[in-house]
Amino acid sequence: MYSAENDFAEGLLRIFDNVLLTEEKALSKGYFSNLSIAELHTLEAIGPYEARAMSETASRLGITTGTLTVAIDRLVRKGYVERYRDSKDRRVVRICLTRQGKLAYRMHAKFHKLLVRRIMDPLAPDDRERLAALVREIDSFIKEQYEKYSQEENARIAAKQTEDQ
Amino acid sequence: MTDLSSDLQRGEPDSTGDPRERIGLDDPVMRRKERIYDTLIDLVTEMDDLSPTDIKPETEIVHDLGLDSLQVYELVIDLESRFEIRISDDELERVNTVQDVVDLIYGMTSE
Repeated sequence: MYSAENDFAEGLLRIFDNVLLTEEKALSKGYFSNLSIAELHTLEAIGPYEARAMSETASRLGITTGTLTVAIDRLVRKGYVERYRDSKDRRVVRICLTRQGKLAYRMHAKFHKLLVRRIMDPLAPDDRERLAALVREIDSFIKEQYEKYSQEENARIAAKQTEDQ
Repeated sequence: MTDLSSDLQRGEPDSTGDPRERIGLDDPVMRRKERIYDTLIDLVTEMDDLSPTDIKPETEIVHDLGLDSLQVYELVIDLESRFEIRISDDELERVNTVQDVVDLIYGMTSE
């Protein structure tokens, strides 16, 4: 029996998987073949302009500062990221993209833009707006769920720490 | 914003092919645009094996200079850092010729 719910669920997962796979294939064919998708998304979280604190970038990516440090070590070695201590507060480590990092960022952003354009262009203006509104709704629902689970996880960690003391 | 090409048309007839010799340098707007133009030409000729005299205000960045998207972004990143500006992809899409780039940067740096 046809089930719209199943169709939607499968479609959503397939989109998620295929976008990642397509990104990976596009990357491996291009100038930045020594970058993984995860590394590219780290560059994305740092952004092409202001230097960012490690802690701020880690929280944007939803990972710990320790995990980010390992990732940044590799990106510094590959020449995509620069790291330095804040001149005003030596405890703060700041990171920013090198010229090569900025190039990778902009090429990746262009890839996203082209992907969206290829999806949106064949649609009528009304359909485009409807699709954008639906995607916004799905996005905010998923974000809410993520926050809910994160809060539960944080509460569990805090409770365990209290227990251990 | 003053249009560089209209000023160029008002100048002396072009016998050299070098647009800088046609610019009215008494005008502060023209002087600033000329500095932007020079920086742009320096960057483009560094990237590609081109002579500055091969490039004119009406030269098309992608079509005439044959820059691929990676080279265009290299140029954009260098212009951003040289002029301390931010050029978005949307702004980039509206740019076609060398003159367009000069006007865009002039607009961004004179605000």
